[in-house]
Amino acid sequence: MRGFLRWGRARAVDSGAGGRWPRGPAGIGARRILRWLWPGTLLTGCAPATTRATFWMLDPKGVIAATQTHYLALDVLVMLFIIVPTGALIIGIMRRYRGGRGGAYDAHWDHSNAIEAVVWGIPIITVGILSYYSVKAIYAVDPNRPAVISRAAAAHPGRPPLDVDVISTDWQWVFLYPQQHIATVDRLVVPVGTPVRFRLTSATVVNDFYIPQLVGMIDVMPGMRVRQALIASRPGTYEGFSANYAGAGFSWMDFETRAVGRGVFRAWVKKVQGGSRRLTYAQFERVARPTIDVSAHVSYYAWVEPGLFRHVVTEVRDGKTYPTPMAMTENMTAYLQSRAAQASAH
Amino acid sequence: MLVHIDGPWSPLLGRLALTEIPYKNPILVGTFLFAVVLAVVLVGLTTYFGFWRTLWRDWLTSVDHKKIGIMYILIGLVMLFRGFIDAVMMRTQQAMAVGPHSAGYLDAVHGYLTPYHFDQIYTAHGTIMILFAATPLLVGIMNILVPLQIGARDMAYPYLNAVSLWLTAAGAALVMASLFIGDFAHAGWFGIVPVMELPYSPGVGVDYWMWAFQLSSIGTTLGGINLLATIVKMRAPGMTWGRLPIFTWASLSANLISLTTFPVVTVALALLALDRYLGTHFYTAGLGGNLMLYNDLFWIWGHPEVYFVILPAFGMISEIIPTFAEKPLFGYMGMVVASLGIAGVSWGVWLHHFFTMAAAPAVNAFFSITTMAVGIPTGVKVFNWAFTMFRGRLRFDLPMMWASAALFFLLVGGLTGMMNAFATNDYMVHNSVFVVAHFHMMLLLIVYAIFGGVNYWFPKVFGFRLEQRFGRMFFWLFTAGTAVVFVPMFTLGFMGMTRRLDYVAFPQWQPLLDIEVVGIVIYVLSAAFLVAQLYVSLRDRAQNRVGADAWGTSRSLEWITHSPVPFYNFAVTPEVHARDERSWRHERGLDDAAPVVYEDIHMPCKTAIPLGLGALGFGLAFALVWRIWWLALLCSGAIVALIVIRAFMTGTSYTIPARDVEKMEHDRKRGAAKPARAQVPGGSPAPVLGGGT
Amino acid sequence: MKGAAGETAGGLGPVMWRPNHGYDDVSTKTLGFWLYMLSDAMMFTALFAAYAVLGHAMNAAGGPLPGTVAHPTHAFTETLWLFSSVLAYGGAMIALKKGNRVGVMAGIAVALLVALGFLGSDLHEVTRLFAAGATPERSGYLSAFFALVFYHGLHVIVGVAWMLVMLGQVAVFGLSEAVVYRLLNLRLFWHFQAVMWVFMFTFVYLRGAII
Ligand code: HEA
Ligand code: HEA
Ligand code: CUA
Ligand SMILES: [Cu+2]
Repeated sequence: MRGFLRWGRARAVDSGAGGRWPRGPAGIGARRILRWLWPGTLLTGCAPATTRATFWMLDPKGVIAATQTHYLALDVLVMLFIIVPTGALIIGIMRRYRGGRGGAYDAHWDHSNAIEAVVWGIPIITVGILSYYSVKAIYAVDPNRPAVISRAAAAHPGRPPLDVDVISTDWQWVFLYPQQHIATVDRLVVPVGTPVRFRLTSATVVNDFYIPQLVGMIDVMPGMRVRQALIASRPGTYEGFSANYAGAGFSWMDFETRAVGRGVFRAWVKKVQGGSRRLTYAQFERVARPTIDVSAHVSYYAWVEPGLFRHVVTEVRDGKTYPTPMAMTENMTAYLQSRAAQASAH
Repeated sequence: MLVHIDGPWSPLLGRLALTEIPYKNPILVGTFLFAVVLAVVLVGLTTYFGFWRTLWRDWLTSVDHKKIGIMYILIGLVMLFRGFIDAVMMRTQQAMAVGPHSAGYLDAVHGYLTPYHFDQIYTAHGTIMILFAATPLLVGIMNILVPLQIGARDMAYPYLNAVSLWLTAAGAALVMASLFIGDFAHAGWFGIVPVMELPYSPGVGVDYWMWAFQLSSIGTTLGGINLLATIVKMRAPGMTWGRLPIFTWASLSANLISLTTFPVVTVALALLALDRYLGTHFYTAGLGGNLMLYNDLFWIWGHPEVYFVILPAFGMISEIIPTFAEKPLFGYMGMVVASLGIAGVSWGVWLHHFFTMAAAPAVNAFFSITTMAVGIPTGVKVFNWAFTMFRGRLRFDLPMMWASAALFFLLVGGLTGMMNAFATNDYMVHNSVFVVAHFHMMLLLIVYAIFGGVNYWFPKVFGFRLEQRFGRMFFWLFTAGTAVVFVPMFTLGFMGMTRRLDYVAFPQWQPLLDIEVVGIVIYVLSAAFLVAQLYVSLRDRAQNRVGADAWGTSRSLEWITHSPVPFYNFAVTPEVHARDERSWRHERGLDDAAPVVYEDIHMPCKTAIPLGLGALGFGLAFALVWRIWWLALLCSGAIVALIVIRAFMTGTSYTIPARDVEKMEHDRKRGAAKPARAQVPGGSPAPVLGGGT
Repeated sequence: MKGAAGETAGGLGPVMWRPNHGYDDVSTKTLGFWLYMLSDAMMFTALFAAYAVLGHAMNAAGGPLPGTVAHPTHAFTETLWLFSSVLAYGGAMIALKKGNRVGVMAGIAVALLVALGFLGSDLHEVTRLFAAGATPERSGYLSAFFALVFYHGLHVIVGVAWMLVMLGQVAVFGLSEAVVYRLLNLRLFWHFQAVMWVFMFTFVYLRGAII
């Protein structure tokens, strides 16, 4: 059972920036047909190695996600205890009394205090139990002060938390590492086993920051700052994306999250710091201009203007917007064609 | 004060220009040709059968609650069809546009729809299905049934009733107009701010959405007032609260919701309009606006709205099951309390639509608990339906098939709803297709109840039963389609697929997306059987005529009057003796207890003013969408003028002498050859616009 | 019982039909109006909620704050205007009870004129604020403030129009049933709008003076 939840691991870490898709024609080939047969493989429990299918929701790789999955299972179990018997009861009655075959037809029976008491009692008790767990779970993964993270951090005092500031634009993700003074666009790299604390805001519209296997959703709102936290428990590459519709480029608004060993992380930071691009506020304004990133382009900045995050929040509060040009809404055909051409030239 | 807008504007036509007609988009051109052909066929048929006069006198100007109800239902069906086509397009796009190498057609990067077009489709689908399909269908059914169930002659305010209808129709027409002139909103059926603010939606789409929504919500608020007043004031003697048919109780609860919450969405949208037209800062991110305010205001309506649509559906199920179990409803009082309870709790749960907004944990906890609490009254309903069937004599006629299938949708939808209500689960599945599948279970429950209800009450309204063989085929195929579309959707939710994806980045979802397309094909097949069912029913209507009680075991008051119901409903107001009045009379052999003495009947006259108000409402909204200020002023002025003129009109009702009533009743008894028009429910010889006969 | 009409075909047994079962038209219409007011009160509630949400210093976005915008003294004079108008309309209702058609018209006319006074005062206040740069598009706070002011003002305008119509109706139809229930509903409406004003006075103007 656990095996089936885990097959089709997240795709392996690839080398460089930019090309994130396995290249080569997909079309109608053997792989496609294999995928077609996939539900069958689901039943037999073994999946072809080429399938990257994952039940992300049931396959947590981080502390928060694991807690959520745990409570999900609990909730469903309690619910099934009541829903399944109810369904069985209805089916049973329907079969038994079809055409009055069950006998005991009673044209006037419409009340019974005992039954009514049970009928109200069972749901009340169930809801009581579920409420208890729900409240517990909410405090455990509260994005502002997640109890499970504090607990895990307390267990490993030697690992100072990593801060990451997240800014969503139309339609990209900008990740700032204030302690390291670096930034990335559409790529998040975090050390395994270390608490990562996020501050999130949006330069334009509302997005939802979501990495299914690591942490649940949190709304990223313009002019506001929310918090989120995670600890990745295993190295790997995990998909993250915006879950909240954010305009025309929303479907392409995903980023890879690489959870790497702490040594690897340090090396990566060094490498990025060795680059030449700098993210000043002026440069940020250029990044934040509406762009649909159909070619999944990743970029890195070796240096970030201090206080950029707060600057963005203040500017937005003062009325700064990055308007979507008419050409990208009413008639975006031409725009998309040019993007597609760029992508294939890449 | 007016905000500056991008693009050209002229005083005469506002933003409207020839380029706004999407003649370059083959999909829309095809749709347009289809609409033209349909219109030509309809006009041709109407002319061929000489139906224009009837159309005008008996339908468009009618204030008869049954005809208004039927027109509501027709609007609902047409819009259901439109919503269905949207669903087909969404499903095919998502199956085609999987993975970075999927091909693009018709200028799209992937699939055949550009993102913006796709976004309009799901927005239109959601808006249409909820506001212009489910709501009109249910309001129509309530319109027809409530006065009949309480033994009233009509609604409390027949004229207002027609106004509500035409406002809703105007809203629907506006949505349809957006297909061919300009475009529709692209920010989801519940609207997302600040995406809907001018900088991010510079076109007219959001304006279309907003005003169509506004027209229908005003219509529904007025309808709610009408139904509530009807139930409180127009009950026949003996119809105490404890004897009110359960569907009427459900309508009462539902309309308590609509009365108290639709005004809130009216405000939510009005403030959005101010933002977009006058440049205020209600929902902007900057300059002191607060975009979370929109979420609160919208969902304070939005969540109760889903119970506004589910309660009448529950009511229909509660009427159908006893009839086909040949037993009274189990736990009537419990059902009443549960309905009112759902309505009451619905007010305190809205925040569950944005658990992910990082509210304090105590807040999320509170709303998580209140949301789950809805499971209690709903559970009571489920169990009471089960015990209604217990010790019964079940017959699975078509209405019963739809109703009993609905119970299982409730279980699945309820289970998944309760999963969402558990806030930490929602952090994982919010905005995923898991939620989409949850609410489709619930909303399809409503569709099931509606099909059940339509099959059940059709003979009451039209005098003949719907054909059952094709009907069953439709049922089974529809159910199969639903399973094949939505089971994979739940699965995809667990695989992490989010909603509203025009382009699907992750190829591992492809197989399930492909399977869903198979479901869509089954749906399309099923629709053919629906058409077949309607056609055969109409063709063989002579064989399928029924008497007052179409099913032999019906229970409530509406079944004691003729089928089809005469325009005056009951020749003489009935006296009510029991909760299930029809059964009560039947058991005492009083089925044929006809009135001995007849009385004069006062009826409201036909009037074209509501139709005019609807047309002007459309004009006003259209003018506002395109910012044609002179037209907006003209329409507003005309609306005020019409209202004042109506206030000065006299002779808005007429009297049918007792003699005539008696004669009509006797004719019916003898089954005398009736004029074709009398076959139409409420077919009546009443004058248009005042001047009593 | 009572009359063959109600009896079953057999002559004895329970009453099955009730001829001449009348409905109380005026009270039905009044109930409907109460329901309408409930829905309108919900609109006000939503606007008040918006005002509460947008009433923080942050929402003023550096523009005028509640203390400088909402003047309780000025609002107090406006209150006097409104209440006098309600009082005058009450006079019309007393005349209605006596069946005094001229009295009714006089009462309405006075109420109408006083309401115009209120509108003038409102307009004066708004132009003053606009002139001082406090316009709705200045900040989220001012948007919410003016939304309330305008929505209430709209009610007064509708009331004035309605009074004009009723003057005409009383003149044309006299005190017929239709006219009477409309007069009664207008009374409800006029009180409703005044009650809403009291809320505005308390939550917007008095509170504004404190903050
Ligand atoms: C009552 C409401 C209702 C109903 C019935 C449906 C029915 C269906 N819906 Fe929809 N749906 C919504 C309400 C509804 N939906 C809402 C609110 C959204 C969210 C929108 C948003 O994100 O903003 C949504 C979103 C939504 C999506 C989401 C896309 C996404 O976000 O990724 C999809 C995708 O497949 C979908 C599919 C379907 C399908 C396949 C059906 C099928 O069940 C359709 C079955 C077919 C019928 C019910 C029609 C049968 C009848 C006829 C053919 C009429 C015949 C006419 C005459 C005889 C005159 N719906
Ligand atoms: C008719 C429509 C309808 C109905 C009836 C419901 C009913 C319920 N809904 Fe659903 N819901 C929608 C339509 C509906 N919903 C729509 C349209 C959306 C999304 C809108 C959008 O985002 O576009 C939505 C979204 C939605 C969310 C937000 C998800 C998200 O966006 O993240 C949540 C979260 O709590 C939720 C919960 C519930 C619950 C708890 C019920 C409960 O009422 C269910 C109660 C029923 C049962 C529980 C089953 C029967 C009971 C028993 C057998 C008794 C025993 C059981 C127990 C006591 C556990 N719904
Ligand atoms: Cu919710 Cu900011
Ligand atoms: Cu809800």
